[in-house]
Amino acid sequence: MNTQSGEIAVDVKSLAKFYGAHQVLFDVSLSVAAGEKIVICGPSGSGKSTLIRCLNKLEDHQAGTIRMLGTELNEDLANINEIRRDVGMVFQHFNLFPHLTVLENCVLAPMLVRRQDRRTAEEQAMLYLERVRIPQKAGSYPGELSGGQQQRVAIARALCMRPEIMLFDEPTSALDPEMISEVLDVMIELAQDGMTMLCVTHEMGFARKVADRVVFMDKGRIVEEAAPSDFFDNPRHERSKLFLSQILGH
Amino acid sequence: MSNVAIVSGEIPPPRHDTFLAAVRKGYFATPGAAAVTSVCLALIALAVWTVFRWAVLDAVWSSGGPNVCQQATGACWAVIAARWRLIFFGLYPYDEQWRSALACAAILATVAVSCFPFSWSATRLPLVWIAGYGVFYGLMRGGFLGLPTVLETQWGGLSLTLFVFSTVVVTGMPLAVCLALLRRSRLPVIARTVAVLIDGIRSLPLVAILFTAAIIIPYALPHFLVGDKLYRVIAGFSLFFAVYQAEIIRGGMQALPAGQEEAAHALGLNYWQTMSRIVLPQAFRHALPPTINQVVITFMETSLIVIIGFFEVMASGNAAFSTAEWSATYVEVYVFVAAIYFAFTFTLSRYGAYLERRLNVARH
Ligand SMILES: Nc1ncnc2c1ncn2[C@@H]1O[C@H](COP(=O)(O)OP(=O)(O)OP(=O)(O)O)[C@@H](O)[C@H]1O
Ligand SMILES: [Mg+2]
Repeated sequence: MNTQSGEIAVDVKSLAKFYGAHQVLFDVSLSVAAGEKIVICGPSGSGKSTLIRCLNKLEDHQAGTIRMLGTELNEDLANINEIRRDVGMVFQHFNLFPHLTVLENCVLAPMLVRRQDRRTAEEQAMLYLERVRIPQKAGSYPGELSGGQQQRVAIARALCMRPEIMLFDEPTSALDPEMISEVLDVMIELAQDGMTMLCVTHEMGFARKVADRVVFMDKGRIVEEAAPSDFFDNPRHERSKLFLSQILGH
Repeated sequence: MSNVAIVSGEIPPPRHDTFLAAVRKGYFATPGAAAVTSVCLALIALAVWTVFRWAVLDAVWSSGGPNVCQQATGACWAVIAARWRLIFFGLYPYDEQWRSALACAAILATVAVSCFPFSWSATRLPLVWIAGYGVFYGLMRGGFLGLPTVLETQWGGLSLTLFVFSTVVVTGMPLAVCLALLRRSRLPVIARTVAVLIDGIRSLPLVAILFTAAIIIPYALPHFLVGDKLYRVIAGFSLFFAVYQAEIIRGGMQALPAGQEEAAHALGLNYWQTMSRIVLPQAFRHALPPTINQVVITFMETSLIVIIGFFEVMASGNAAFSTAEWSATYVEVYVFVAAIYFAFTFTLSRYGAYLERRLNVARH
């Protein structure tokens, strides 16, 4: 399943999502070409996490369609697991497996899901750990690492599955300020390598630098979708202006 | 600012009290404390001295008949010398008791081997147990290679206790895992049914379950399904163990943040991979102290099978002093049986402490 740039990697049409009777996504449509980098932002509770978690079926949707790499997400379990192999995800709270070492965290899924043998998986894991600049911690447990180091391991762990698409849900918002840049640097390199990325983040510097498009969400809807320079310098909607003044204002 | 002094001044290294200083500070700080400490020490010394005199100084150690104890003021250990085979092997035929001893050793070796982290793999552990049980059953039951057959009704003593205990734990543990997982099922019908089953069985006393298994099941099931009473009782016991252990494991799973399962799913791991690699290993770590507790309690509860006619170590202890000439020596026999129980439960809890230390290395 190799996506060429220009092909559609993510195609969301008229997505609706309910928690019980409470609707949190309204008619969301979004199309992302292979190799594109999207930054999703918006006020708290606007549905950013929910949207991104629907893309690998951590959440079910109730209406609309989601096509990932050409495959529609439905109830078929085999189908879901196949998509998850090719879609990596990085969480706000890292979610490393605390009972496994850094290296074991990285080789677990390639061995179980991709059926790689241990040697291949470990060699590849070391490669990615070097890329996130943390190979010396391969034998440590996650509890022995700082937040920034843990998040870089989490990125390496996702990359070890060789995903086509990477989803990030506020990867830096649980970090102390001095650790944010070490994670962002890794993400910027990843973007420069041509990875298809959807990032929920409020790091506007990162958005300006790598995003092809910024998607602004509010109250469960996509309100504005624009190139970063347009979005930051000339927001068209009142709510975007308000949001930007709030996060940039002080 | 008071902390300025600490930051800028020299910080003296923390001083550790010497042992004597610590004792003085902790137990003899005031005249009242000194008095309480002294009285307690005196009482403890008196108790220790009394027991020591009874058990060692005035005790009769010789292995003569019951008559050697007539003048003794202390313990009559002669009863153990004379009756230990009854205590260890129950009604097992006298000439075949070496088989029971070997079988005991086989079970102990199996437990010991499976306690080492080396054997904790899905292929090694079942192999160890199948081999261990094969040896145990072959030795105990016999009926081949010229070994006379000894029926389950004649099994007894320590080997029966160990057999019942280890079988209950070894079959109950996987059952507990299944029940815990089913109780978390996303299908409400399954989750509710299992919850009712677990809570229902937990509300019954073990004795009632053992009686049901021993006496009522034979009426309720067709003959070919009934099996030997021993195995029915073990099955009932194991179910009882499993429902409690299932709740312990479920508690361990609830201690995990939801993000663990999500991260596993996001990496493409399926349900079984997520459970076996991510959720259960961590749940067991969280649930280790209550699990060890449950195992120790189960060991001691095996003595309950005496009431449905099994001759485990407690019952054979009773038999050891129930003849006229030894009837005065019940204290010695109980002390001896208690020492056997203590040896096992103490080893179990030490092992539990070792496991906790070992697993904690990986958690921080
Ligand atoms: N498990 C849930 N059950 C019920 N409602 C939920 C659940 N998860 C999220 N919601 C609701 O869905 C809405 C969108 O939540 P979501 O987490 O997607 O927001 P967000 O944009 O990611 O916010 P934040 O910036 O705070 O992370 C919120 O109103 C939230 O209360
Ligand atoms: Mg969120």
